[in-house]
This record gives sequence, structure tokens and C-alpha cells, in this order.
Amino acid sequence: MGKRIISLSLAVFLTVMLLAGCANKGTSTTSDTGAGSKTETKTETKTEVTSSADQTNAADNAGLTVSWWGNQTRNERTQQVLDLYTQNNPGVTFDGQFAEWADYWNKLSTASAGHTLPDVVQMDYKYLEQYVSNNLLVDLIPYIDNGTLDVTGIDENILNSGKVNGGLYAIPIGVNAPALMYNKTLLDQNGITVKDNLSLDEFMALCKEIYEKTGYKTGAAYGDGDIFIEYTMRSLGSILYEKGKLGATQEQLQKFFEVYEKGISEGWMCDPSIYTERTIGTPEQMPLVYGSSPATMSWCAFSYSNALASLQNAAPEGTEIAMTTWPADDQKAANYLKPGMFFSVTVDSKNPEAAAKFISYWTNDVDANKILKGERGVPASAKVAEAIKDQMDQNQLKAVAYINNVVTPTSSVINPPAPEGSAEVSKLVDQLVEMVCYKQITAEDAAAQLFQKGNEMLAD
Amino acid sequence: MAGRIIYHVIVCGIGLIMIYPLLWMVMSSLKDTKTIFTTANQLIPEQITFQNYINGWRGFGKVTFGTFFMNSLFISIIATIGTVISSALVAYGMARFKFKGRKFLFVSMLATMMLPAQVLMIPQYLWYQKLGWVGSYLPLIVPYYFAVQGFFVYLIMNFINGLPVELDEAAKIDGCSYYRIFTKIIMPLIAPAMITGGIFSFMWRWDDFLSALLYVNESMRYPVSLALKLFSDPGSSSDYGAMFAMASLSVLPAVLIFIFLQKYLVEGISTSGLKG
Amino acid sequence: MRNNKFNLIHFLNRESIAGLVFSLPFIIGFFMFLLVPMGISLYYSFCDYNILSPPVFAGLKNYIKMFQDETFYKTIGVTLYFALVSVPLRLVFALIVALILFKTTKATGLYRAAYYLPSIIGGSVAVSILWKRMFAIDGVINKLLGAMGLPSEFSWLGDTRTAIWTLIILAVWQFGSSMLIFLSSLKQIPSTLYEASTVDGAGKVKQFFHITLPLLTPTIFFNLVMQMINGFLAFTQCYIITQGKPMNSTLFYTVYMYQQSFEYSNTGYGAALAWVMLGIVGLMTLLIFGTKKFWVYEGGV
Repeated sequence: MGKRIISLSLAVFLTVMLLAGCANKGTSTTSDTGAGSKTETKTETKTEVTSSADQTNAADNAGLTVSWWGNQTRNERTQQVLDLYTQNNPGVTFDGQFAEWADYWNKLSTASAGHTLPDVVQMDYKYLEQYVSNNLLVDLIPYIDNGTLDVTGIDENILNSGKVNGGLYAIPIGVNAPALMYNKTLLDQNGITVKDNLSLDEFMALCKEIYEKTGYKTGAAYGDGDIFIEYTMRSLGSILYEKGKLGATQEQLQKFFEVYEKGISEGWMCDPSIYTERTIGTPEQMPLVYGSSPATMSWCAFSYSNALASLQNAAPEGTEIAMTTWPADDQKAANYLKPGMFFSVTVDSKNPEAAAKFISYWTNDVDANKILKGERGVPASAKVAEAIKDQMDQNQLKAVAYINNVVTPTSSVINPPAPEGSAEVSKLVDQLVEMVCYKQITAEDAAAQLFQKGNEMLAD
Repeated sequence: MAGRIIYHVIVCGIGLIMIYPLLWMVMSSLKDTKTIFTTANQLIPEQITFQNYINGWRGFGKVTFGTFFMNSLFISIIATIGTVISSALVAYGMARFKFKGRKFLFVSMLATMMLPAQVLMIPQYLWYQKLGWVGSYLPLIVPYYFAVQGFFVYLIMNFINGLPVELDEAAKIDGCSYYRIFTKIIMPLIAPAMITGGIFSFMWRWDDFLSALLYVNESMRYPVSLALKLFSDPGSSSDYGAMFAMASLSVLPAVLIFIFLQKYLVEGISTSGLKG
Repeated sequence: MRNNKFNLIHFLNRESIAGLVFSLPFIIGFFMFLLVPMGISLYYSFCDYNILSPPVFAGLKNYIKMFQDETFYKTIGVTLYFALVSVPLRLVFALIVALILFKTTKATGLYRAAYYLPSIIGGSVAVSILWKRMFAIDGVINKLLGAMGLPSEFSWLGDTRTAIWTLIILAVWQFGSSMLIFLSSLKQIPSTLYEASTVDGAGKVKQFFHITLPLLTPTIFFNLVMQMINGFLAFTQCYIITQGKPMNSTLFYTVYMYQQSFEYSNTGYGAALAWVMLGIVGLMTLLIFGTKKFWVYEGGV
């Protein structure tokens, strides 16, 4: 028996080593071709400005790695578009890589340490500044100038959100806006209507009224980090994160915490314990759509316009979800259009030209977007958005109408992307809100702590 | 007789509590995916549907779960064989021999277990990249042929320490080399420990998604553990039904292996070989 | 030539050499796969590092920062509590169940599988959702209490005093791996010992305390060491279920380290936290090894 095991182990061992050899060969051949195309692109970048005829050549022969996060639907549709592109441009092949949101960022940062980033990466506004300031993304302006990348269809304001320090590092691929989702059926039954552009005081009065009439409480941006505090600061004329410090005063910060303090003391704010029983951020478990009694449910949820479909989907049969703006005293200053996602080209790309050309295709091609059906948000190009209207479902059309009719007229430019250290501050906001809701500290204490610790976190 | 009935009632009762979560997962996978949360407190589905299994098995962009299962089986089995064999060798060496540096090796082995695995993610990645292994299964398999998991070495060592030394000595007097002693005497006797280790190792390799996430790039080569996570997306909607369906299936191999191997743990070969 | 070959075999069969030969896989593995990454991470702990750009040496900064970090102390407290409560409980359960299921009958195979199942499904999403549902205000636990005449509206996960217990229960519930190890060691105890003592007229209880328990002490010791290390490095329970809520009362040390490393881009600080943990666990292990001679039976069979 012993001998058999030993010989088996040897056999397996040899197989593994053989496999090792194979895989090594595999990687070395790919890196060979990679190196080949690298020299090609290098000469390309030199001639870039003068002649664009040669470049199309390089851009037409490439193996591109594209990576994104998302669910099954997105994975499938994206893969279909990649296949379609290869069909139209036989020289270009793709390796589509996808992962779940948190995994995606771990994988991406690890790859950045090893300088093996994919050519094209799906980027989020939260991470944009970090990736740019660490020189991991390619400035795309030269590719716009030489005609490879066509962004003429994208609204100036939206396009600018991909700009950091004058360079354009990310192309928006879906437009989005903050939206307060609410249970319209419930409110209709009780004769309550919600108007757009509520002020904070009006909002709180409404919450109280709903609580008294229906028993439903209010789940106000709990555990979502800095999104609502940033919005509130905007309405007060401040930018939450400035370079190396907080842009708001302690008094301004206090206004935000007071909403929670008041809500808890008047009883209409959701008890913080209900959030410990759910996974925060998943639409299926939001108190708006899920809970066993009014006391554990909320009449509204602070969310974004593209979440309508998933929330409506998760809502009980017969419940209609509608959307309005988040409350703010100065709605024009507070509200903004937000690119849901971007595509960026990384510095590790051996063929940025081909990558840029692919992004251009993604942005402007109607057939491709007919496959994608606006799953990442309303297409950034207005022309494309109009052309695929027939492909959209009712929830998406509602989101488009909301963006065009409600947000666009009363909004201003989005804050610059948050700097390094903001993730930690965001977590601190969560913890302070939690403590206010558990009545451990007052809104005043919370503001003082945020002001002091937040500034320290941003400073180093 | 009454005693035996009480025994079975108690053991069964607690056993039910133990498997309740698995039962819950399987039952949830048979519910309409929309109702999983709203009916989380009731175990039996109102209407049984296999739609989740169909949706889930479809996988992602042309790659079905069949492929993911094959990948997982391949990685887990090959890595487990390596772990068990290399750990047994090392355990014998460290348990039965006095040599220079033995203490150092033992302490290093314990120390490697005390550093949280998460902190080694980046350094390991950089190192495997230097070796040219990124993008292949090598980082998921080869290290296990070098007994890198001290747990298994220590587990088997502990077992060897329980074997009477007289056995080795008698064999040595008969002219056996240490290598023959290992294959002829020690290995059969530590089979229960090796099987125990094999069960753990298989399960851990099967569940490991982190190294697959970092080192495997093509979706065609994803293991089940990584693929399961792809059903959820906190930003948009997640398909919990499909996830539970595939998660239920993914428990099967480990359960089957356990049921198949566990009898060797207790009915093994060793009783006759040992003398008090 | 023949002489040479003979010498080589002879050489390889010397005790000191044979030991090294058998240990060779680990020696290679240690230097090849473990030492380098550990070294790099130790270096990171002395650096300002955010993964995205190269590390910059910063001396002891990260270690000094730790002393002023309230959350650091808080998480050490939580982790100690979790480990010191859950590990002994887990071992006791594992031992009892192993003893109950040791006798081989037709059903034990299935029973063993059932008791081992929780360890197989481990840290999956299903467990995280189920656990939250079970301990929810309207969950199974409160419903059971209600059925027993103790109506309860208590939020087990939402209270700082009880939330950690939901994680401890999860850890204890997954006692399968220790159970399996106990089972395989029980097997090692020769049945002749029991037969002899039965002849001497010893009862079951006496047999347990005079034969089973002493001979199991090496395995208990092994399980204690391993589970202590695991307990201190526990990650999954907190990460998938509470994420530290409410108010960091369940925040495990390793989860905090993970947050610092990967969420807050303080990877250097995260590495420093890890190395301090290694120190703490090392001390703890040393302590356990120090007690070994007082209670572990080393005589062999």
C-alpha cells in the first residue's frame, strides 16, 4: 500500500511539474506577443500626433483585457458586446474578467502592485482620484484629439466628471443621480403626496407625519458612508473633502447629525438595531422593501436612480416604488448628475490605442448598446440613449425622465473625486451616525469628533 | 433498549439543529428567488421550483457551472494529495528524528500559522509574479506539495507521537531503513490522521476563493467558490436563488467525500497493529 | 562505484540526515513560499504603503500610531473575549460529541456527517443571511422563546452585550474539525486497554478518567493550540455577519486589520497590526506550551 501511494504521489508530482512547465510556456508566449505589441505602440505614440492612419493599424490588432464588476446579467451582456466587437474587428480579441464588487477592487489593487492591470477597467467615482494620483490610469485627451475616441455625444458636465487635474482619465458609461425611493402605494393609501425638492425641515415633518399615520419609520442613509452628508454639505455651500482637510465647518457638520438625533428622539427614525440584521447596501434587504412590521420598515430609501429596477423587483407584489430628490435646503447646490460607472485605460495596457478605440465603440455604437440595454445606467451619449429607448423597460424610462425633468434643471456640478483617506472618514461617519442613533453621543459631539478625527485622517 | 432509543432521539434532535442551516439553504434554493427574504422564517417553500438550478447552472457568459465544478475538483484533489503526502513525510521527520535545526523548523512552522493570511496577499502575489505563475493554477497547487500548511504537519506529528517507538526500533533491528519503516510501518498506522487531513484539506481548498481571485484570470478557469460570489452585486440586484442553488450543489462533493472516508477513521487498519 | 552507492545509502540512513531528508519538503516550502512573503510584509509594516504606489520607508511610525489608536485596543479586547470563550466551549462540545459518536453503529456514519456539516458550509453567504435571520427581532430564536412562554422582542444582533455571542455560537456550532481529530485519536487507543480494565472490574466512568482522557491529552493539547491560534485570527464570522456592528462591539482584530489594509489604504499600518498579532498569538502559544508538562500525558501507549 505504501509503495502504491508513493508511486502515485510521484506521478502526481511529475504531472504538476509538467503542468507548471506548460503554464510557464503559456505565459511566456503571451508576454512575448505582448512585448511585440508594446514596441509597436511605442512607435505609434511617437507618430501619434502627426499621422493617424497608421494607428488604426495598431488598434486593429490587439488582445485586450477588460474587467468589470457586476451580476449575472451584466456579465452576459458585456461578454456579448465583446464578442460582437471581435466579430466586427477580427484582429481584436478580448479576455473579459469579472468579479464581485469588493473582490474586484482587491484584485485590481493587487494587480496594480504587480503592474499587471487589465487594459480597460470599469472605474467608480470613489476610486478615481486614488488611481489617478498613483499614476495608474492613462490620460485619454490625446486619443480624443487624434480621433480614436469620440466623446462628442457626451454632455460636457458628465464628461468632466472623469477629469482629474486637467487630464481626462475616465469615460462615463452610464448616468445616474441621487434619488429618494419611496413606497408610493403606502403613501397614496394614506393620502400623502411627496413633492420634489423637499427642504430638510419639510422632509422631517413628512417623516413624522408618515410615522404617526402609518407606523412606518424612516431609513435615512444609514451605513452608506458619506453620500448624504456630502449632499447636505453641498446644500450648505461646502465641499466635504478638500485636499488634506474637511471642507465643512463643525457647525455645518452638526446639521447633518441633527437629522438623526431628531428622528430618534421623535421616534420616526428606524431603530439602528434593524440594520444589524441585514446586509447593508443590498436592495433586497433595504427596509423600504423588506421587513415584517412597519416598525422595522421604512417608507423611503436614499439611493440612486438606476436602483429603481432592483428595488421595484424586490418590493412586495402590488407595491409601487417612486422616486424624488433627496431633501436639501438648497436643492440646486446640492443635487448633481453622477456617472454611475466609467471605463478607464490603465498604464499597464500594451495597446492603449486599441483600448481607447474600444471605449469609443462602447460609447457610440447603437447595436452594442441595444445589447447592453442601459444596464449600467442611462447611456452617457444622449444620441445613443435616445436610440435605445425602445429597449428600455418601464423602470429605466422612469429613471431617464427623472434625470431629464427633475435633476437636470435643478442641479450643479458634482464634487471633485474624493481624495485618499476619504474611505476612512466615510467609515467614521457611519460609526458616528450609529452612536447618535444609539444615543451614545449628541449631534454636537458627533460633529466635533468628525471635525477633529476627519481632518487628521485626511491630513496624512 | 430504552437507553438506545433515548440515545438516538437525543443525537437525532441535536443533529437536526446542526443541519438546519443546510436544510434552510436547500429549501431556499427551491423557492422563487423573489420570496427568499420575505419567507426566510418558513422552512418549507409554498411552491417548489427548480428554476434557480436552471438559472444558476447556466453560469456566466458561456461558461456553465459544470466547468467550474471540474476546475474546483481538479485544484482541490491535486492540492490535497500534495498536502497529505508532503505533510506526512515532514511529520515523520520532525516527530521521530533528532537533527540539527529541528526545533527551529518546528517554531517556524508554528509561526507561519500565526500571521493572518490576509496580510500575505500582496507579498505573495508579488512573489508568484516573479516566478511567472500569475494567471495559472500553479500558486493554487504547487506550494501544497511542500507542506506549507503547518496545521497538517503538526496534526500528523501528534499522531505519530502516539505510536509506540518500539515498533520502529524492532523494524530497525530487523534491518529496515528509515524509508522502509515509513512506508511499511508508519504510513499504514497514520492512515486515520492522513484521512482526517485529507478531508480538511479538500474542504479548505474547495472553499478557498481568495487565491483563485488573485491568480486565475480567465473565467473559464474559475473554481466554484469564486463563481458563487458572482451572483451577487451590492450595487444592483443579486440572484440569491441561483446562488443558493449552486451553493447547495457545491456542498455535495465535500459531504460525499466525508461520508465515504469517515468510516476509515474508525474502522481503519490500525487496531491489529498496535500492542499495548 | 559500488562502495560509493553503499556509502550514500548509509549516509542517508543516518538519523540526523534522514530527519532532514524527510523534512525537506517543508524546508524548501518554507524558504520558497513562506519566508519571502513574510519578509516583504514585515518590511511593509515599517512603510507608508497604500498598495497602489510603491512603499516608502517610515520607520516605527505605524507601530507608534497603534498605541494611540482606540480601535486597536477595542479590537484586542473583543478578540480576546471571543477566543477565550469560544475555544474552550468548542473543544468541550467536540470531545463530548466525538465520544458519543465513536461507537460504530449503522447510524453513526450519518450522524457524524450531520455534525460535521456546519463546518463544511463554513463561511458561505447562506450562513451569513441565515444567522442574521435567526437572531433577528422577528427571527426563529425569538419565536422559540415566545413558544416557550417568554415573549421576546429583543434584538440579539443590535445589542452590544449580545451581538458577540451570536458569533461565539456560530464558532461553537462549527466544532466539526476538532471532533474529527478527536475521533481519529480515539481510534488510536488500543481496545486491549479497555478489555484489561474491564477484567479488573473498572466501570465506564473510571475507564474514561483513567484511560481515555489521559491518552487523549496530547490531542486535546494539539486542538487547544490550533484552536487558540484560529480563535485569535478569527475573521470570517465577523466579516460576513456583523462587520463589527453595533459600535465595534464585535469588531475582530483581523477584520480591523483587513479594513486598514484594503479599505482605508493604510496597508503599512495593516501589516504592522498583523505582526503585533503574531507577537500576541506567539506569547499565548508559548504560555500554553509552558503548561504542557503539567497535564499532557507523554508516555505513549
